[in-house]
Amino acid sequence: MNHFFAMQSVHISLPTETIFHIGPLPVTNTMLLGGLGVAILLALFFHTVRQVKRGTRTRVSSLVQWAFEGMYGAVYDIVPDRKMARSIAPLALTIFFTVLITYWMGIVPGVGPVHWGEGPLLRGLPTDLNFTLALAVISMVAVQYYAIKVHGLFGNMGRYLINPIKNPIGAFEGFLELIGELSRLIALCLRLFGNAFAGEVLLVIVAAMSSYFASVTLPFFFAFELFIGFIQAYVFYVLTLIFASLATASHGGGHSSAHDTAQHKEVPAST
Amino acid sequence: MHTILTNFATAEATGHAAEEASGNVLDSLGIDPKLFVFQLIAFLLLLWLLNKYVFPVLMKAVDERQKTIDESLQAAHDAEKQAAEAEAKIEAMLKKARGEAADIVTTAKDEAGALVTKAEERSKAQAQRIVDDAQSTIAKEVIAARKALHNETIELVAQATEKVVGKTLDGKIDNKLIEASLNHSGDKA
Repeated sequence: MNHFFAMQSVHISLPTETIFHIGPLPVTNTMLLGGLGVAILLALFFHTVRQVKRGTRTRVSSLVQWAFEGMYGAVYDIVPDRKMARSIAPLALTIFFTVLITYWMGIVPGVGPVHWGEGPLLRGLPTDLNFTLALAVISMVAVQYYAIKVHGLFGNMGRYLINPIKNPIGAFEGFLELIGELSRLIALCLRLFGNAFAGEVLLVIVAAMSSYFASVTLPFFFAFELFIGFIQAYVFYVLTLIFASLATASHGGGHSSAHDTAQHKEVPAST
Repeated sequence: MHTILTNFATAEATGHAAEEASGNVLDSLGIDPKLFVFQLIAFLLLLWLLNKYVFPVLMKAVDERQKTIDESLQAAHDAEKQAAEAEAKIEAMLKKARGEAADIVTTAKDEAGALVTKAEERSKAQAQRIVDDAQSTIAKEVIAARKALHNETIELVAQATEKVVGKTLDGKIDNKLIEASLNHSGDKA
Protein backbone atom coordinates (compact mmCIF):
# COMPACT_ATOMS: atom_id res chain seq x y z
CA MET A 1 0.00 0.00 0.00
CA ASN A 2 2.81 2.34 0.97
CA HIS A 3 4.69 1.39 -2.14
CA PHE A 4 1.69 2.13 -4.25
CA PHE A 5 1.24 5.46 -2.47
CA ALA A 6 4.82 6.40 -3.25
CA MET A 7 4.35 5.49 -6.88
CA GLN A 8 1.56 8.02 -7.23
CA SER A 9 4.12 10.87 -7.12
CA VAL A 10 6.18 9.51 -10.06
CA HIS A 11 5.62 11.77 -13.01
CA ILE A 12 8.03 11.86 -15.94
CA SER A 13 7.44 14.05 -18.93
CA LEU A 14 9.88 15.27 -21.54
CA PRO A 15 8.01 18.45 -22.55
CA THR A 16 7.33 21.07 -19.93
CA GLU A 17 3.82 21.58 -18.57
CA THR A 18 1.93 24.78 -19.25
CA ILE A 19 0.57 26.27 -16.04
CA PHE A 20 -1.27 29.26 -17.50
CA HIS A 21 -1.15 31.65 -20.47
CA ILE A 22 -0.27 35.31 -20.75
CA GLY A 23 -1.92 36.23 -24.01
CA PRO A 24 -0.54 33.88 -26.63
CA LEU A 25 2.49 32.97 -24.51
CA PRO A 26 2.19 29.77 -22.50
CA VAL A 27 3.81 30.06 -19.07
CA THR A 28 5.39 26.72 -18.18
CA ASN A 29 6.52 25.26 -14.87
CA THR A 30 10.18 25.61 -15.95
CA MET A 31 9.65 29.31 -16.66
CA LEU A 32 8.20 29.83 -13.18
CA LEU A 33 11.15 28.23 -11.40
CA GLY A 34 13.60 29.73 -13.89
CA GLY A 35 12.15 33.19 -13.24
CA LEU A 36 12.47 32.60 -9.51
CA GLY A 37 16.07 31.47 -9.97
CA VAL A 38 16.96 34.48 -12.11
CA ALA A 39 15.29 36.77 -9.56
CA ILE A 40 17.44 35.24 -6.80
CA LEU A 41 20.51 35.57 -9.02
CA LEU A 42 19.78 39.24 -9.68
CA ALA A 43 19.11 39.86 -5.99
CA LEU A 44 22.44 38.28 -5.08
CA PHE A 45 24.33 40.24 -7.72
CA PHE A 46 22.72 43.59 -6.94
CA HIS A 47 23.26 43.04 -3.22
CA THR A 48 26.94 42.35 -3.97
CA VAL A 49 27.20 45.39 -6.25
CA ARG A 50 25.72 47.58 -3.51
CA GLN A 51 28.18 46.21 -0.97
CA VAL A 52 31.11 46.72 -3.35
CA LYS A 53 30.08 50.31 -4.08
CA ARG A 54 29.77 51.02 -0.36
CA GLY A 55 33.09 49.39 0.32
CA THR A 56 31.49 47.02 2.81
CA ARG A 57 30.93 43.30 2.64
CA THR A 58 28.63 40.63 3.96
CA ARG A 59 29.04 36.87 3.92
CA VAL A 60 26.73 36.63 0.92
CA SER A 61 28.50 39.36 -1.04
CA SER A 62 31.88 37.84 -0.18
CA LEU A 63 30.70 34.47 -1.44
CA VAL A 64 29.36 35.99 -4.69
CA GLN A 65 32.54 38.00 -5.15
CA TRP A 66 34.65 34.92 -4.51
CA ALA A 67 32.71 32.90 -7.09
CA PHE A 68 32.72 35.76 -9.59
CA GLU A 69 36.44 36.38 -9.15
CA GLY A 70 37.23 32.70 -9.67
CA MET A 71 35.17 32.40 -12.84
CA TYR A 72 36.30 35.77 -14.19
CA GLY A 73 39.92 34.84 -13.65
CA ALA A 74 39.37 31.50 -15.41
CA VAL A 75 38.23 33.37 -18.54
CA TYR A 76 41.72 34.83 -18.89
CA ASP A 77 43.25 31.40 -18.33
CA ILE A 78 41.17 29.86 -21.13
CA VAL A 79 41.24 32.71 -23.66
CA PRO A 80 44.81 33.84 -24.31
CA ASP A 81 43.88 37.16 -25.93
CA ARG A 82 43.10 39.50 -23.01
CA LYS A 83 41.01 41.89 -25.09
CA MET A 84 38.93 39.05 -26.43
CA ALA A 85 38.65 37.51 -22.95
CA ARG A 86 37.40 40.79 -21.50
CA SER A 87 34.89 41.05 -24.34
CA ILE A 88 33.43 37.55 -24.06
CA ALA A 89 33.58 37.29 -20.26
CA PRO A 90 30.08 38.78 -19.63
CA LEU A 91 28.40 36.21 -21.87
CA ALA A 92 30.32 33.27 -20.42
CA LEU A 93 29.73 34.45 -16.84
CA THR A 94 26.03 35.01 -17.45
CA ILE A 95 25.74 31.50 -18.90
CA PHE A 96 27.61 29.99 -15.97
CA PHE A 97 25.67 31.68 -13.19
CA THR A 98 22.29 31.30 -14.93
CA VAL A 99 22.78 27.58 -15.58
CA LEU A 100 24.15 27.05 -12.07
CA ILE A 101 21.33 28.76 -10.21
CA THR A 102 18.53 27.40 -12.39
CA TYR A 103 19.97 23.89 -12.19
CA TRP A 104 20.25 24.09 -8.42
CA MET A 105 16.76 25.53 -8.14
CA GLY A 106 15.45 22.29 -9.68
CA ILE A 107 17.03 20.29 -6.85
CA VAL A 108 15.43 22.28 -4.03
CA PRO A 109 13.30 19.85 -2.00
CA GLY A 110 9.61 20.35 -2.65
CA VAL A 111 10.01 21.46 -6.26
CA GLY A 112 8.91 18.16 -7.78
CA PRO A 113 6.12 16.94 -5.49
CA VAL A 114 3.94 20.09 -5.64
CA HIS A 115 1.57 19.46 -8.55
CA TRP A 116 -0.62 21.71 -10.64
CA GLY A 117 -3.06 19.66 -12.61
CA GLU A 118 -1.24 16.69 -14.15
CA GLY A 119 2.32 17.93 -13.87
CA PRO A 120 4.57 19.54 -11.25
CA LEU A 121 4.05 23.23 -10.53
CA LEU A 122 7.78 23.94 -10.60
CA ARG A 123 10.54 22.35 -12.64
CA GLY A 124 14.21 23.10 -13.24
CA LEU A 125 14.81 25.42 -16.18
CA PRO A 126 17.62 23.32 -17.71
CA THR A 127 15.08 20.48 -18.19
CA ASP A 128 13.41 22.75 -20.76
CA LEU A 129 14.89 22.20 -24.24
CA ASN A 130 13.75 25.67 -25.29
CA PHE A 131 16.08 27.16 -22.67
CA THR A 132 19.10 24.96 -23.42
CA LEU A 133 18.59 25.45 -27.17
CA ALA A 134 18.35 29.23 -26.70
CA LEU A 135 21.58 29.18 -24.67
CA ALA A 136 23.35 27.07 -27.28
CA VAL A 137 22.16 29.30 -30.13
CA ILE A 138 23.30 32.44 -28.30
CA SER A 139 26.63 30.82 -27.54
CA MET A 140 27.26 29.74 -31.13
CA VAL A 141 26.04 33.04 -32.59
CA ALA A 142 28.42 34.84 -30.24
CA VAL A 143 31.23 32.57 -31.41
CA GLN A 144 30.47 33.45 -35.04
CA TYR A 145 30.22 37.14 -34.12
CA TYR A 146 33.71 37.10 -32.60
CA ALA A 147 35.08 35.06 -35.50
CA ILE A 148 33.70 37.59 -38.01
CA LYS A 149 35.04 40.42 -35.87
CA VAL A 150 38.52 38.93 -36.01
CA HIS A 151 38.66 37.39 -39.49
CA GLY A 152 36.07 39.51 -41.30
CA LEU A 153 32.91 38.18 -42.92
CA PHE A 154 34.61 36.58 -45.91
CA GLY A 155 37.57 35.45 -43.86
CA ASN A 156 35.24 33.63 -41.52
CA MET A 157 33.30 32.13 -44.43
CA GLY A 158 36.62 30.97 -45.79
CA ARG A 159 36.91 28.65 -42.81
CA TYR A 160 33.95 26.65 -44.14
CA LEU A 161 33.70 27.37 -47.88
CA ILE A 162 36.86 26.44 -49.72
CA ASN A 163 37.10 26.02 -53.49
CA PRO A 164 37.01 22.22 -54.09
CA ILE A 165 38.86 22.55 -57.41
CA LYS A 166 41.85 24.31 -55.87
CA ASN A 167 41.88 22.40 -52.60
CA PRO A 168 39.56 19.39 -52.50
CA ILE A 169 40.78 18.17 -49.10
CA GLY A 170 40.45 21.68 -47.64
CA ALA A 171 36.93 21.92 -49.06
CA PHE A 172 36.03 18.67 -47.37
CA GLU A 173 37.56 19.90 -44.12
CA GLY A 174 35.57 23.12 -44.43
CA PHE A 175 32.40 21.13 -44.92
CA LEU A 176 33.24 19.03 -41.87
CA GLU A 177 33.88 22.22 -39.91
CA LEU A 178 30.43 23.45 -40.87
CA ILE A 179 28.92 20.18 -39.70
CA GLY A 180 31.07 20.49 -36.61
CA GLU A 181 29.58 23.88 -35.75
CA LEU A 182 26.09 22.41 -35.99
CA SER A 183 27.07 19.41 -33.89
CA ARG A 184 28.59 21.69 -31.27
CA LEU A 185 25.33 23.58 -31.05
CA ILE A 186 23.30 20.40 -30.67
CA ALA A 187 25.81 18.93 -28.22
CA LEU A 188 25.74 22.06 -26.05
CA CYS A 189 21.95 22.01 -26.04
CA LEU A 190 21.43 18.29 -25.42
CA ARG A 191 24.27 17.85 -22.91
CA LEU A 192 22.78 20.30 -20.47
CA PHE A 193 19.23 19.16 -21.08
CA GLY A 194 20.13 15.47 -20.83
CA ASN A 195 22.00 15.84 -17.56
CA ALA A 196 19.33 18.02 -15.98
CA PHE A 197 16.49 15.79 -17.13
CA ALA A 198 18.33 12.63 -16.06
CA GLY A 199 19.01 14.20 -12.68
CA GLU A 200 15.38 15.05 -12.26
CA VAL A 201 14.30 11.53 -13.21
CA LEU A 202 16.96 10.07 -10.90
CA LEU A 203 15.62 12.05 -7.94
CA VAL A 204 12.03 11.03 -8.70
CA ILE A 205 12.95 7.36 -9.08
CA VAL A 206 15.09 7.34 -5.92
CA ALA A 207 12.31 9.06 -3.97
CA ALA A 208 9.76 6.56 -5.25
CA MET A 209 11.94 3.52 -4.64
CA SER A 210 13.06 4.49 -1.17
CA SER A 211 9.50 5.44 -0.18
CA TYR A 212 9.52 6.44 3.52
CA PHE A 213 13.32 6.23 3.60
CA ALA A 214 13.54 8.97 1.00
CA SER A 215 14.64 11.48 3.64
CA VAL A 216 17.71 9.28 4.20
CA THR A 217 18.56 8.41 0.60
CA LEU A 218 17.70 11.64 -1.19
CA PRO A 219 20.26 13.96 0.48
CA PHE A 220 23.08 11.93 -1.07
CA PHE A 221 21.53 12.33 -4.50
CA PHE A 222 20.83 16.02 -3.85
CA ALA A 223 24.53 16.50 -3.12
CA PHE A 224 25.41 14.56 -6.26
CA GLU A 225 23.03 16.69 -8.33
CA LEU A 226 24.49 19.89 -6.85
CA PHE A 227 27.88 18.72 -8.05
CA ILE A 228 26.51 17.76 -11.48
CA GLY A 229 24.83 21.17 -11.71
CA PHE A 230 28.13 22.91 -11.11
CA ILE A 231 29.88 20.65 -13.62
CA GLN A 232 27.26 21.30 -16.29
CA ALA A 233 27.38 25.06 -15.76
CA TYR A 234 31.17 24.98 -15.89
CA VAL A 235 31.22 22.80 -19.02
CA PHE A 236 28.83 25.12 -20.86
CA TYR A 237 30.89 28.13 -19.79
CA VAL A 238 34.23 26.57 -20.72
CA LEU A 239 33.02 25.24 -24.07
CA THR A 240 31.63 28.66 -25.01
CA LEU A 241 35.02 30.20 -24.25
CA ILE A 242 36.95 27.48 -26.05
CA PHE A 243 34.74 27.61 -29.15
CA ALA A 244 35.11 31.38 -29.29
CA SER A 245 38.83 31.15 -28.75
CA LEU A 246 39.22 28.47 -31.42
CA ALA A 247 37.14 30.42 -33.91
CA THR A 248 39.24 33.54 -33.43
CA ALA A 249 42.63 31.88 -33.05
CA SER A 250 43.56 31.06 -36.62
CA HIS A 251 42.17 29.41 -39.72
CA GLY A 252 43.92 26.17 -38.87
CA GLY A 253 42.98 26.31 -35.18
CA GLY A 254 39.34 25.68 -35.93
CA HIS A 255 40.03 22.07 -36.76
CA SER A 256 41.23 21.29 -33.27
CA SER A 257 39.14 19.28 -30.91
CA ALA A 258 37.03 21.26 -28.50
CA HIS A 259 38.43 19.26 -25.63
CA ASP A 260 42.02 19.88 -26.61
CA THR A 261 42.33 22.85 -24.32
CA ALA A 262 46.00 22.49 -23.60
CA GLN A 263 46.85 22.46 -27.30
CA HIS A 264 44.48 25.34 -27.87
CA LYS A 265 46.22 27.50 -25.29
CA GLU A 266 49.43 27.25 -27.23
CA VAL A 267 47.83 28.69 -30.35
CA PRO A 268 48.38 32.45 -30.31
CA ALA A 269 45.26 34.48 -30.98
CA SER A 270 45.60 36.46 -34.18
CA THR A 271 44.31 39.98 -34.03
CA MET B 1 10.23 -1.54 -9.46
CA HIS B 2 7.85 -3.06 -11.93
CA THR B 3 5.41 -0.22 -11.24
CA ILE B 4 8.13 2.38 -11.91
CA LEU B 5 9.07 0.82 -15.19
CA THR B 6 5.43 0.54 -16.14
CA ASN B 7 4.89 4.18 -15.23
CA PHE B 8 7.98 5.24 -17.14
CA ALA B 9 6.96 3.17 -20.14
CA THR B 10 3.51 4.72 -19.98
CA ALA B 11 5.06 8.17 -20.01
CA GLU B 12 7.22 7.19 -22.97
CA ALA B 13 4.22 5.66 -24.71
CA THR B 14 2.28 8.85 -24.12
CA GLY B 15 5.19 10.78 -25.61
CA HIS B 16 5.30 8.53 -28.64
CA ALA B 17 1.56 8.77 -29.06
CA ALA B 18 1.76 12.55 -28.96
CA GLU B 19 4.56 12.42 -31.48
CA GLU B 20 2.56 10.24 -33.78
CA ALA B 21 -0.49 12.41 -33.31
CA SER B 22 1.27 15.62 -34.12
CA GLY B 23 3.80 14.10 -36.40
CA ASN B 24 6.29 16.57 -35.14
CA VAL B 25 9.51 15.61 -33.32
CA LEU B 26 9.95 19.11 -31.96
CA ASP B 27 6.59 18.96 -30.23
CA SER B 28 7.44 15.66 -28.60
CA LEU B 29 10.66 17.20 -27.27
CA GLY B 30 8.73 20.15 -25.99
CA ILE B 31 10.34 22.68 -28.33
CA ASP B 32 7.93 25.53 -28.89
CA PRO B 33 9.03 28.42 -31.17
CA LYS B 34 7.25 30.94 -28.96
CA LEU B 35 8.91 29.62 -25.80
CA PHE B 36 12.26 29.39 -27.59
CA VAL B 37 12.07 33.03 -28.67
CA PHE B 38 10.93 34.01 -25.18
CA GLN B 39 13.88 32.20 -23.58
CA LEU B 40 16.22 33.79 -26.12
CA ILE B 41 14.97 37.30 -25.40
CA ALA B 42 14.85 36.68 -21.63
CA PHE B 43 18.46 35.49 -21.57
CA LEU B 44 19.65 38.39 -23.73
CA LEU B 45 17.80 40.76 -21.41
CA LEU B 46 19.48 39.18 -18.41
CA LEU B 47 22.85 39.43 -20.18
CA TRP B 48 22.28 43.11 -20.94
CA LEU B 49 21.18 43.81 -17.38
CA LEU B 50 24.15 42.09 -15.82
CA ASN B 51 26.58 43.52 -18.35
CA LYS B 52 25.33 47.05 -17.73
CA TYR B 53 24.82 47.17 -13.98
CA VAL B 54 26.59 44.24 -12.34
CA PHE B 55 29.65 42.99 -14.19
CA PRO B 56 31.42 46.35 -14.67
CA VAL B 57 31.34 47.00 -10.92
CA LEU B 58 32.45 43.49 -10.00
CA MET B 59 35.11 43.40 -12.73
CA LYS B 60 36.42 46.76 -11.61
CA ALA B 61 36.58 45.48 -8.02
CA VAL B 62 38.42 42.36 -9.17
CA ASP B 63 40.82 44.41 -11.33
CA GLU B 64 41.47 46.83 -8.47
CA ARG B 65 42.06 43.98 -6.08
CA GLN B 66 44.38 42.38 -8.59
CA LYS B 67 46.16 45.68 -9.01
CA THR B 68 46.49 46.02 -5.23
CA ILE B 69 47.82 42.48 -5.00
CA ASP B 70 50.29 43.17 -7.81
CA GLU B 71 51.41 46.40 -6.14
CA SER B 72 51.73 44.65 -2.79
CA LEU B 73 53.74 41.91 -4.41
CA GLN B 74 55.95 44.49 -6.09
CA ALA B 75 56.33 46.37 -2.80
CA ALA B 76 57.17 43.13 -1.03
CA HIS B 77 59.66 42.31 -3.76
CA ASP B 78 61.21 45.78 -3.47
CA ALA B 79 61.31 45.53 0.31
CA GLU B 80 62.94 42.13 0.03
CA LYS B 81 65.49 43.57 -2.39
CA GLN B 82 66.14 46.55 -0.10
CA ALA B 83 66.46 44.22 2.87
CA ALA B 84 68.96 42.10 0.97
CA GLU B 85 70.90 45.22 -0.01
CA ALA B 86 70.82 46.52 3.56
CA GLU B 87 71.93 43.14 4.82
CA ALA B 88 74.80 43.13 2.34
CA LYS B 89 75.69 46.67 3.39
CA ILE B 90 75.54 45.73 7.05
CA GLU B 91 77.64 42.66 6.36
CA ALA B 92 80.23 44.81 4.58
CA MET B 93 80.21 47.32 7.42
CA LEU B 94 80.54 44.55 9.97
CA LYS B 95 83.40 43.09 8.00
CA LYS B 96 85.08 46.47 7.86
CA ALA B 97 84.43 47.08 11.56
CA ARG B 98 85.79 43.64 12.40
CA GLY B 99 88.93 44.44 10.38
CA GLU B 100 89.31 47.78 12.11
CA ALA B 101 88.69 46.21 15.48
CA ALA B 102 91.31 43.58 14.75
CA ASP B 103 93.75 46.33 13.74
CA ILE B 104 92.96 48.29 16.89
CA VAL B 105 93.42 45.22 19.04
CA THR B 106 96.71 44.40 17.34
CA THR B 107 97.92 47.97 17.75
CA ALA B 108 96.78 48.03 21.36
CA LYS B 109 98.54 44.76 22.03
CA ASP B 110 101.73 46.08 20.47
CA GLU B 111 101.51 49.33 22.38
CA ALA B 112 100.72 47.53 25.59
CA GLY B 113 103.65 45.20 25.02
CA ALA B 114 105.93 48.16 24.36
CA LEU B 115 104.65 49.91 27.46
CA VAL B 116 105.17 46.85 29.58
CA THR B 117 108.67 46.36 28.21
CA LYS B 118 109.49 49.99 28.78
CA ALA B 119 108.06 49.88 32.28
CA GLU B 120 110.01 46.73 33.02
CA GLU B 121 113.20 48.36 31.76
CA ARG B 122 112.54 51.45 33.79
CA SER B 123 111.75 49.36 36.84
CA LYS B 124 114.89 47.35 36.38
CA ALA B 125 116.96 50.49 35.97
CA GLN B 126 115.41 52.06 39.00
CA ALA B 127 115.91 48.93 41.02
CA GLN B 128 119.52 48.75 39.89
CA ARG B 129 119.99 52.37 40.80
CA ILE B 130 118.51 51.78 44.22
CA VAL B 131 120.73 48.76 44.70
CA ASP B 132 123.77 50.70 43.58
CA ASP B 133 122.92 53.58 45.89
CA ALA B 134 122.44 51.17 48.75
CA GLN B 135 125.71 49.41 48.04
CA SER B 136 127.48 52.74 47.79
CA THR B 137 125.96 53.86 51.08
CA ILE B 138 126.86 50.58 52.73
CA ALA B 139 130.42 50.79 51.43
CA LYS B 140 130.78 54.30 52.71
CA GLU B 141 129.37 53.33 56.06
CA VAL B 142 131.69 50.33 56.22
CA ILE B 143 134.67 52.53 55.45
CA ALA B 144 133.55 55.06 58.04
CA ALA B 145 132.99 52.31 60.57
CA ARG B 146 136.37 50.85 59.86
CA LYS B 147 137.97 54.20 60.20
CA ALA B 148 136.20 54.85 63.44
CA LEU B 149 137.12 51.42 64.71
CA HIS B 150 140.66 52.00 63.62
CA ASN B 151 140.86 55.25 65.48
CA GLU B 152 139.26 53.83 68.55
CA THR B 153 141.54 50.84 68.47
CA ILE B 154 144.59 53.09 68.18
CA GLU B 155 143.43 55.13 71.06
CA LEU B 156 142.67 52.08 73.10
CA VAL B 157 145.99 50.49 72.36
CA ALA B 158 147.73 53.75 73.14
CA GLN B 159 146.04 53.99 76.44
CA ALA B 160 146.80 50.37 77.25
CA THR B 161 150.39 50.70 76.23
CA GLU B 162 150.72 53.86 78.21
CA LYS B 163 149.58 52.12 81.26
CA VAL B 164 151.90 49.19 80.67
CA VAL B 165 155.01 51.04 79.56
CA GLY B 166 154.48 54.15 81.53
CA LYS B 167 155.80 57.43 80.46
CA THR B 168 158.94 56.26 78.73
CA LEU B 169 157.86 57.01 75.30
CA ASP B 170 156.56 60.23 73.93
CA GLY B 171 153.46 60.64 71.94
CA LYS B 172 155.12 60.41 68.49
CA ILE B 173 156.90 57.20 69.21
CA ASP B 174 153.78 55.91 70.76
CA ASN B 175 151.74 56.41 67.70
CA LYS B 176 154.40 54.94 65.43
CA LEU B 177 154.56 51.82 67.48
CA ILE B 178 150.86 51.39 67.60
CA GLU B 179 150.43 51.83 63.94
CA ALA B 180 153.25 49.43 63.20
CA SER B 181 151.72 46.82 65.46
CA LEU B 182 148.34 47.37 64.05
CA ASN B 183 149.60 47.03 60.53
CA HIS B 184 151.37 43.91 61.58
CA SER B 185 148.26 42.52 63.12
CA GLY B 186 146.28 43.63 60.11
CA ASP B 187 148.64 41.75 57.81
CA LYS B 188 148.27 38.68 59.88
CA ALA B 189 144.59 38.91 59.89
